[in-house]
Amino acid sequence: MDQLRKDFSTVTIALIVVALAINIVVGTIIFQLKVPFVYLDSIGTILVGLLAGPWAGLVTGILSNLLWGLLGNPGYVPYAPVAGVIGLMAGIFGSMGWFKSWWKWLLAGLITGLVAALLSAPITAYVYGGVTGAGTDLIVGMFRATGSSIMEAALGQGLITDLIDKTFSFFVVWLIVKALPTTLLTRFSRSQNVLEMGDVDLENILDQ
Amino acid sequence: MTSATLYIDRDAGLQRLHPLTKLVISLFLIVLALVIPNMWAGYIVFLLGVVPLALWGGILQPLWSALWKIVLPFAISMFVIQGLFWTGGTPVVELGPLSFKAEGLVFATTITGRLLAIMGSFLLLSLGTPPDDLMISLEERGVPNSVTYIVLSTMQLVPGLQVRAGKIRDAQRARGLETEGSILQRMRSMMPLVEPLVLGSIIDVDERAIALEARGFSREASKSFYRPVPDRRWEQILRWMLFIASILLIVLRIFWPLINRYYLGAG
Repeated sequence: MDQLRKDFSTVTIALIVVALAINIVVGTIIFQLKVPFVYLDSIGTILVGLLAGPWAGLVTGILSNLLWGLLGNPGYVPYAPVAGVIGLMAGIFGSMGWFKSWWKWLLAGLITGLVAALLSAPITAYVYGGVTGAGTDLIVGMFRATGSSIMEAALGQGLITDLIDKTFSFFVVWLIVKALPTTLLTRFSRSQNVLEMGDVDLENILDQ
Repeated sequence: MTSATLYIDRDAGLQRLHPLTKLVISLFLIVLALVIPNMWAGYIVFLLGVVPLALWGGILQPLWSALWKIVLPFAISMFVIQGLFWTGGTPVVELGPLSFKAEGLVFATTITGRLLAIMGSFLLLSLGTPPDDLMISLEERGVPNSVTYIVLSTMQLVPGLQVRAGKIRDAQRARGLETEGSILQRMRSMMPLVEPLVLGSIIDVDERAIALEARGFSREASKSFYRPVPDRRWEQILRWMLFIASILLIVLRIFWPLINRYYLGAG
């Protein structure tokens, strides 16, 4: 309970606001660049999971997709639970100390992508008839033409895009956190996820 | 202060409804479109539910212009992919070596209708409801005030961040960054556009938190509302009725095969 209160401190609330705006604005930039297989619309969510714990990550992910809905992209709303799980998993991997080595962190991104694809497939199949309404539908068409079911085709498409997108998103978050000043990082409730003990005398700073 | 919102301020009946009434109506329309086992269900819900309500709020034109852009790409993909590649379907239209299958076309028609109804209902809510009123009325019913703050201030932050993103893009292009051209060039331009934007805005987090603390944000005393949201008795009753009807419809849909078998004597 005490950890939960710390995880939803005022600093976390402020971080979530910025993270959600980052999701939306960066997601839009990448959409306009038309880079295949990359969306980068969850780096804010991953960041919150890593810096403020899995529960804050979960809340950020869900709110992120609901906000897209309020801002004119209702297509994101059905995927809100998936976005929540991405934040949750980033938080869990962070707590396991996987951020401390780069390959473990990329592996965390890969696993998160796998779970995201598994959870998205039924939503894509049930709500959207198995298609994405974008260029990745070439993959869906290929799977369907070779005899896969709607669900299998949605999963195949999701595996390819989510594995690439989430691994890359985790990589971007890694670059960003490494570039943030230690004094700022210590303000977050899970700063021990990203700081080496040698970096700074943590307890000392937190007590002030 | 500018805020990223779709809300269209008109003095019309829909806009005067309590935000929760609009939320419940939207959810009810979505449930209807999903539970009725008929390929035209979505179209009927859209034409008899979403369209009249949008007309009532004077927002049919903006709703439609947003809606078709969302639904059309899905519809095209579905008719092409599920129409052509339906495994073992009955061919209806021959196109050289390929053929459109009846089952695939029925499927694509069903889902397109559902999408019209679902996305239309969402847009009805976001075009017809001021977000601050929606969040305040949710907060009055127990949603934590931090959620209200998060949603509303994100909507205020987005336009500013978009301006900043535009400036970063211009600055990077002035230094020779290619944001158009081949896939490789566009991939290379991702990080120079994203990293300064994200770093710059995270640095602001601390200041934001201090500003909140200085205004007693984390104090646990009960808060009053600067902007009351009026509610009417008949709307409360309507909300409960629609809510109960939605639950009943979902339960009915889940148990329909059983009811069909044991009470109606069908196969």
